[in-house]
Amino acid sequence: MSIEHHPTDPMLAAFAAGTLDHGQHIAVATHLVACSQCRAFTRSIEQVGGAVLAGLPPAAMSDNALANVEAQLNKPVRLASMADTAPTVAENEVPGLPNFLRRYRFGSWKRIAPSVHLRPIVLPYASGTRVFLLKSGPGTKMLEHTHTGIEMTCVLSGAFSQDGGHYRPGDFDLGDETVDHQPVVDPGQDCICLVAMQGELRLNGLIGRILQPFIRL
Amino acid sequence: MEGNSDDERWSGMISAVAERKDRAAFAALFEYFAPRIKSFMRRSGASEASAEELAQETMLAVWRKATLFDPQSAGAAGWIFTIARNLRIDYYRREHRGGMIEASDVEVEFQIDESPLPDSRLVSAQNEDRTRSALSKLSEDQMRVVELSFFEEKAHAEIAQILGIPLGTVKSRLRLAMTRLRNLLSELS
Repeated sequence: MSIEHHPTDPMLAAFAAGTLDHGQHIAVATHLVACSQCRAFTRSIEQVGGAVLAGLPPAAMSDNALANVEAQLNKPVRLASMADTAPTVAENEVPGLPNFLRRYRFGSWKRIAPSVHLRPIVLPYASGTRVFLLKSGPGTKMLEHTHTGIEMTCVLSGAFSQDGGHYRPGDFDLGDETVDHQPVVDPGQDCICLVAMQGELRLNGLIGRILQPFIRL
Repeated sequence: MEGNSDDERWSGMISAVAERKDRAAFAALFEYFAPRIKSFMRRSGASEASAEELAQETMLAVWRKATLFDPQSAGAAGWIFTIARNLRIDYYRREHRGGMIEASDVEVEFQIDESPLPDSRLVSAQNEDRTRSALSKLSEDQMRVVELSFFEEKAHAEIAQILGIPLGTVKSRLRLAMTRLRNLLSELS
């Protein structure tokens, strides 16, 4: 068996071209960790990028550009990276969390509904997309909802069903204004997903409308 | 699009840098790619000064990372593109932070060949040099719509205008290009 639910091709192409916003970039990267098929596809788009780059009309460099770079070739490299900051998520705390995500700062778990918890991932700067982990207890029937923007979900552990499809670790789901979601978590295990959400979440139905002002997703 | 022989020549140069810190090979790569990387940065909105700096930074990274280049799995231009792309993303993220110095690591988000999720059904790593042959089988027309759509972020209607073709043709050409890449990848696997 392999991953059944993938990002769309245009989404993968935008990822490879480097034009997705930060939050969506993280959601697609999370899927790619699990999916060698989509990884191969993004690699082929990167090669297209190479052909595009090689075919661009040149823009004149400054006169001393090469000399300037050559002067730095033998300097020792100090690679500063997020790796320098201590991870805030323990190795075994969130099963299935890709390593690249451990470098981000995480907020703490908040209960947002019965047996549903949310843990924000803090991006280094404000993005139009919010990223968080969503943990739902076994058998949880999530509130039916629609979105005002695009919502990307990638399963990290556990599983849920939705609209006749079954979503397991690595599976990717895209929701937009036109999609009504009512996912149901499999029995027996928590389901943890990474969610990148643009815009506001709208809960449908009476309970949703009552809860909405309080949970402020 | 450059022919394969160009790319092989560039691959040889990157290997020369990797193996013996060949400065002549580096200068040749610089001469060809730095002005094109600068052009790439300008097109994505960087100022003249920033584009110049990013092009220099990219070439410096080409020198430093040359040993990581694997000609079996990527073309030379494609590999250089990924370095330029990552530096561009990093640049925009830094800009959005209002110049605040906070280390970021774009690279690691693209280095996704880590151990798979703890789910055994995942497909094992595949031979990825097939992506190179897949690319060479896209037609010029298909390459162009992919370029405009994803690398220049033009809307479909705009692409139709630029190429002087109907909107429906833009959409079908893009879809065909994507399908073609997918099919070639699965054929080659």
